[in-house]
Order: sequence, then structure tokens, then C-alpha cells
Amino acid sequence: MRPKISLYGLTFSLPLLVWQLLFFVFPLLFLVALSFWTVKNFTMRPDFDTVNWVTIYGRAVFWQAYANTFAMATFGAVLTSVLAFPCAYAIAFKLSDTARRWAVFLMVIPFFTSYLVRVYSWQIFLSDAGIINVLLGWVGLGPFPMLNTVGATTVGFLTLCFPLVVLLQLFSLVFIDRTLIEAAHNMRCGRLRTVVEVIIPSARVGLTIAALFAFILCFGDFVSPVYLGGGEPTTLSILITDTTKSGQQWPRAAVIALTMIATLLIVAFAAVRFAYATTKGGRK
Amino acid sequence: MTARPVPLATGTSTFTPAKAKSRKARKTAEQGARDLNRNRGVDFALWLYILLAYAFVFAPIAASFVFSFNSDRFPSIPLGEFSLDWYRAVASDPLVWEGLRNTLVVGVITGVISTVLGFGAAYTDYRYKFMGKQVYLALALLPPTIPVIILGLAMLAYLSRVNLSGNALSVIISHVVVCAPFAMAIVRLRLSQMDPALEPAAWNLGASDWQTMRHVILPFCKPAIFGALFITMAVSFDEFAVAWFVSGLNETLPVKVLGFLQGQVSPRINAIGTFVFVTSMTLVILAQLLLSGRGTKFRNPSAGE
Amino acid sequence: MQRDTLVSFDGVVKRFGAFTAVQRMDFEIQKGEFLAIMGSSGCGKTTTLRMLAGLEAPSEGTIRLSGKPIDHLPTWQRDTPMVWQSLALFPFLNVRENVEFALKMRGMGKAERRRRAEVWLDRMQITEFADRNIAQLSGGQRQRVALARSLVVEPEILLLDEPLSALDAALKVRMQTVLKTLQRETGITFVYVTHSQSEAFSMADRVVIMSRGKIEQIGTPQEIYRTPKTRFVADFLGSSNIFSGKVATVGDGALELDTPEGRLRLTSRGLADMPRPGTTATVTVLDTKMQLSAARPANAVNVVPVRVIGEEFVGATATLYLETQHGQEIRVQKGHDELSDLPVEIGQPLYAHWAAEDGHLVREA
Repeated sequence: MRPKISLYGLTFSLPLLVWQLLFFVFPLLFLVALSFWTVKNFTMRPDFDTVNWVTIYGRAVFWQAYANTFAMATFGAVLTSVLAFPCAYAIAFKLSDTARRWAVFLMVIPFFTSYLVRVYSWQIFLSDAGIINVLLGWVGLGPFPMLNTVGATTVGFLTLCFPLVVLLQLFSLVFIDRTLIEAAHNMRCGRLRTVVEVIIPSARVGLTIAALFAFILCFGDFVSPVYLGGGEPTTLSILITDTTKSGQQWPRAAVIALTMIATLLIVAFAAVRFAYATTKGGRK
Repeated sequence: MTARPVPLATGTSTFTPAKAKSRKARKTAEQGARDLNRNRGVDFALWLYILLAYAFVFAPIAASFVFSFNSDRFPSIPLGEFSLDWYRAVASDPLVWEGLRNTLVVGVITGVISTVLGFGAAYTDYRYKFMGKQVYLALALLPPTIPVIILGLAMLAYLSRVNLSGNALSVIISHVVVCAPFAMAIVRLRLSQMDPALEPAAWNLGASDWQTMRHVILPFCKPAIFGALFITMAVSFDEFAVAWFVSGLNETLPVKVLGFLQGQVSPRINAIGTFVFVTSMTLVILAQLLLSGRGTKFRNPSAGE
Repeated sequence: MQRDTLVSFDGVVKRFGAFTAVQRMDFEIQKGEFLAIMGSSGCGKTTTLRMLAGLEAPSEGTIRLSGKPIDHLPTWQRDTPMVWQSLALFPFLNVRENVEFALKMRGMGKAERRRRAEVWLDRMQITEFADRNIAQLSGGQRQRVALARSLVVEPEILLLDEPLSALDAALKVRMQTVLKTLQRETGITFVYVTHSQSEAFSMADRVVIMSRGKIEQIGTPQEIYRTPKTRFVADFLGSSNIFSGKVATVGDGALELDTPEGRLRLTSRGLADMPRPGTTATVTVLDTKMQLSAARPANAVNVVPVRVIGEEFVGATATLYLETQHGQEIRVQKGHDELSDLPVEIGQPLYAHWAAEDGHLVREA
């Protein structure tokens, strides 16, 4: 094609570039600068002081929240992946083409449908007098306190990630060469074992990327930890909102936010490396 | 692993020989149609699992819908009477109307800008090779992977420095950052279905770049452009975190919901929620219909589905 | 040549919905033979192979392996290793792991697995690639990995589904030799599905020719080539000297046929039951048995006036394409020297003739 710089080409390329530079890159860079500002008498002033980093990193509360967030996000990603896999597998291998299209169609809808309201809606099920406890009461059980627990937060995480993870897993599963599965069967590999020995390794990239997205979503989410988990345990996102909304401590919030971004970058890098790592032979 | 397929031809003794025979013949035919390596029990269990998964995904949406019409103050079962009270309560709240107005204005403007920017980026990726394209694509696609809470904080801090914080414009600016990548992905997918010889063919027939864009590329991408418009509107419509940070007094509807949530449990949220669900779902369904190629005039036979 | 039966197809039918892929198939595969199943695409040859491997279930009938019915066994309980057209090598495993796969599935210990894999890596001359990824191998190397992977369990039978179709011509010929030698040395029964006549005829002990889900003929390559049983087989093998007509007289071990080209005479070899007078019959003549002369031959029984429409020289042989007055195509293959005194310009009128015993009756359907 004609790969020269032209008014025509720039008309299409530049707007997004400018927009994302101005309103995505600059804000994030500004966050870096902000983390070195100081706050006196509830007013921020430009500065180059490491006090915010020292303060935040010196607090046990921060590290506790960091550990909690990391653990919960990891758990959320693993649990979502494990629960989504049979669903994606069944849609990929057990449904007709038409049914599969419908399944995808239906799964896309919740992905774009207010997460906030869906989380609120879970309160109807999980509260002390909610649907689940009423049902349990009918068979003489409970009531169990379910809201404001880590379990409820996990339900929220599932609400957030499950559709996306199913879709991402599904897209990697449908592209598996079916003859590989037949070949495995042909070599005495039974149904379940084929899933472990052939299907999961074949879909490794997609499965890893799906888990990574789940991790990212859970790691940054504050809705489920607050409205289902009751704010306990404190997560990094809760810490950010608290720090921001109280006393103009934006620079400290920036430190937390930057730490989160660094963590996500490292996790993403590790996940992508793992996903595309070749077999033992490739390292030779 | 060593589970055998369920034995099929187990005709019971209650059948007369003739009946048994025809039954057996039918079963043999069924067996023939069936994949030898599948197991009905396993298939049934997986099918059930799919149903459960979709039940889990749609339960909150359904619950919100059902309880928005329920008279009880505290939503639970058994259901109370049918009632439109919560809709009335919501409708009589001027703050809700204001939120809705803000949401709609922000959503529509965000949708249009995101789609335009996303289309440009998708076309750039489709047509051009240049130095730093990887960086360009990263900029174009990364924003949705940054946690909204961080984005919200960064936007708030940055936009307040340049005196853009606390109004609807700041919400639009932030939402476009998050929405444009979705538009880009959708349009890019459509462009990848286009025969790469189509554009050169138009040039060859004497069309200029702009004419080709007007008469070839845009018509081909029309369904994707509308699909992207609806999806980005839906994303903006549902976005609350960034909006919460930057909107100031001009709260959008989801931010309003966030406010309600911080207060006490109220079925009013179900009424708003149902409205939000219906709107988003309509947009997403419309987008999917457009993108699935139904009613598309320009079909590329070689690309297929 | 009495050998043991390894596989038998007994009235096997396979339907996909309303479409019948395989119609009532009865045949046997002998222990230790190299059997090729040949036919054009969609003839049911691959379906036949897949039924044997348990990848499709027969709609009717029984398949027996070593005398025992195997219809109820899922694929992973049969010992019918297969080589796929795509080879179906696992891209996420290296060469050695691919070869060890079947052994691992049998629960064999690591050391033993490695030892056995080593034997086959060596035998297929791929030891030096053992730790490579599949993506790093050439087409021929992949082929060898696929063979090693299937043969490492030392099966009684090996199924091959057009495994050479992705290779270039030269490599194809080399791999044919590898396969044939391998089969001879191991004595493993090979069932080889292909659409290529040259592959089937150069390697197989016996060839099964299929068309539209039916077996047209089973026999050694020579039998099939010399005496095709049906018109389809004759057509499929590329024979163009096919004449159809009404049977005029039958008797005395000979038969006369009225065709548009005149009355043709042939002796009775080829068909067990002779057609009755008045019925339609078809006769073929090998292109190497067809004679040509410039003047009408005096004593020949079957003479057809023809015109030259084309010629083709490959090595020492020449193929002449001719046409009768009625548009019937005739092909003659001769050595160069045999043609040297014959005028063969395009349009040249000649006479094609053949002896009564070179005509061969085939079934119409």
C-alpha cells in the first residue's frame, strides 16, 4: 500500500493518539509527579519529596491491604477460571453451532451490563433476611450471615469476571484442532485425561490471558469488597478511595495507585511469558 | 477414563419380540448417529452446568427486575404484592432525572467521539505500517485494563489541575479514554473481514483516498460503526467509578446508584437498576445483531463467518 | 498365500443423517498386509478408516479386530493407532514427548518410556531432533515423528489417512519407500487411505477401490490394473479405451459386441458370468495393448479408424491421443522406436486395432 505520511492518513491516526496522550498518558504521568508532592494544611503543593512513599510503605496497614488484595485477586482469578472452564468447555465441544452462537450472545450481554447494580442485586440474595437464607430457613437451616464476608466479595468477583473469562476461554477452545483430540483418544487417552493432557495445554495462551484479566479486574475492584464484603478486609482500592476522599491526601493515594499499576505490570508480564513459553525443547 | 458408553440396546422383557426388534433397530440407528466417544451422562452433566452458569450470571439481573415491582420495603421472598411504587418514587426524584439527563448526554457524546476515534485507530492499524505502531496500538487498547479506581484518581488529579474537573465534560473526556478501545476493537475486527484487495481495486478504478473511504470503507464498516456506537454508549452508561471521581456535582445515574448504595438498602435501586439493565441490554443486543452480520449488505464471501 | 484375518467388516453401513457415507461393506484385512483404500474424495474411504479407529460408530454391521467385535469400544480402548493427514502432532510437546505420549497413556514408567521412544526415534532417524519443537521441523521430519509416535506401541495394525498429501513430489516418493520398507520389516498391517493411484499401487499388497460408499474392486495392483472389474475402476485408473455396446453373440468362450465403432470381438477372460445376448456390455483395452497402423490391417479382429488429436512424450514412452469418428477417445502407449515409422501429425488418420484376448469385459455399475 502507500505507506507515506499524508493528510489523509493523519486525519485518522492522530485524533486517538492525541486524545490518549492528553487524557490517558498525561494523567498517569501526572500521578507519578503527584506522588512526590506534599500536603500542608489540606492544600497540595508541587514538590519533590519522597515523604509519601516513605509514609505509605512504612505503614503496616498498607502492606496488610496489599497482601489481602493480592491474595483475594489471585483467589478470584483461580476460582473464576476453574468454575468457568467446564462452562466454556461444554459450550465449545458439546453445543451445536447455533446453540453456541446463542451462548456467546447471552454471555456478552452481562459483560456490558451495570456491574454496580448486579452487585447490589446480590444483596437481595445474600442478606440475613435475603432469598438464600429464607430458602434455607424453609428446610430448617440458618440463617447464616453471608453478607459482609469474604465469601460475598468472592461472589462479587465472580459476577465481575465470569462472563469475560468464559468468553476468552471459549475463544481459545473453539480454535483447538479437533484432530489433536482424536489423536489423543487414538493413543489410549480417555475423555478426562484428554482434557488435562491435550485440551488445556492447547488452550494455554487463552486460559492464561483469561485468568490474567480476571486478576486485573479483581485486583482493582472496590465495589465488591465494599458493598458485599463490608469493607473488610481492607483492599488497596478501598485504601485509595479513603485516602482520596479524606483530607486531600491525593499524593499518598497516588503512591498506592502506582504500586498497584507496577504490580499489575509485573503480573501481566509474568502471565504473558508463561502463556507463550515454549515446551521444554524450545529452551534448548 | 475407562468409563464405557452407556449400553444402549437393553430391550426389556416386557416387549413382544416384534416391538423389541423395532425398538432395537431404532436404537441401533441412534447409536449410529451418536459419537462413540461421547458419554450421555457426561454430556448431560455439562449441559446442566451451562444452565447453572447462566442462571448465576443472570440471577442478579432477574432479581433486580422482579423486586422492582415488589411492594416490600426489604426485598426477599416470599414476594409481596405487585407495585409500581418504587418507579413512582424514583420518577418523582428530581435528582434522579438530573442524573439520567447527565448520563444520556454523556453516553451519547462519549459514544460518538469514541466511535470516531476508534474507527480512525482501527483504520490506521489496518492500512498503515509505521515506526512505533506497537506503542500506538498499546495506547489505543490499554486503558480498559487499568483499574477504574486508578484511572479515576489520575483523571481527578489531572483534570482538576487543568480546571476541567467537576463537570459533565470531564466525565466525557474520561469515558472516551475507556470507550475508544472498544470501538477500535470492533471496527478492526470488521476491517479484517474485508478483502485487502478492495481498497487498491478502488484506487485502480480512479478513486482517490477520500472517495475510497466514502464509497468503499465506510459502507463496508457501517454495521461495525453502529455496533461500536451502541457498545461504547453502553459502557459509558454503566461506568460509575471514574464518573464518581470526576463528576463533582454533575452526577451521572450510576454515580447516583453508588450514592444510594452508600445509604440504606432501598428497592428504589431495583427500579433504577431495571431501567439501566434494559437500556444497556438493548444497546448491547442491537450491537450484537449488527455485528453478527444479519442484514449486512456487504458480505465478503471469502471471509465467511 | 493363506493368511490370518486381522480385521473384518461385516455388513458395515455408515449414515450421516440422510447421507449414506458407506453402503453395506464386507471385506477383510489380512494380518501383515499393506492394504490401500483408494477413491476420490467423498467416496467413504476415510470414514471406513475412522470407523476402524472408533472415531465414527457404524450405523449398521460389525467390525471385528482379531475376531472380536469392537463396535462398543471407544477409541481409547482400541489398539488402532492412526497417522492423520494433518499428522495431528501435539504442538505443545516436543518430539520426544510426542513419541512417548502413547506409552505414558499406558501407564508405562519414565525410564522404560524413554528407552522405547529412543528405539523408534533412532529407527526413524530423528534422534537429533528429539528435543525440538514440532514447529521447528520440516515436513518430512514431522512425518517421521508421526510414524514413530504411532508405532512406538508396536501395534498389530497402523492406520494411515493420506499422510503424504502435504509433501512435495520428491519427498513423497522417498517417504513411500520408507513406509514400504517399514511395513516389510515390522510385519505390521498397514491400512493406507489415499486418493493417489501411484501411492496405492507402488506400496500396497492389495488395493480396495471405493466409489460413492461402495467397494468397486479389491485386488492386487496388477489384477486391478489388468482386469478392472467395473467401468468405474477402469475410468478411475485413467483408462480411456472403453467401448459400450449391445451383446450380439455369446458362445465358445467368446463374445461379440455391437458398438458405434462396429462389431468388437473378445474372448471370455475377465468376467465370471457372461452377459446374455441383447444386454449392454462394456469392454476396455489397456493402452499398452492397443496397436496402431497407417493402413487398415488385414487380419485384425477389432479395427477402429481414428485420427490423431494429441501426443505426449515422457522419457522413452509416448502416449498418443486419438479420436474415433464418433468422438470416442482412444489412448495408445508405445515406445518411441515403435512409433518411428508411423505418421503421427495432428489430424493424421490411422487404424487402432487389438487382439480378441486383449479386450476385457467390465461391469457397467
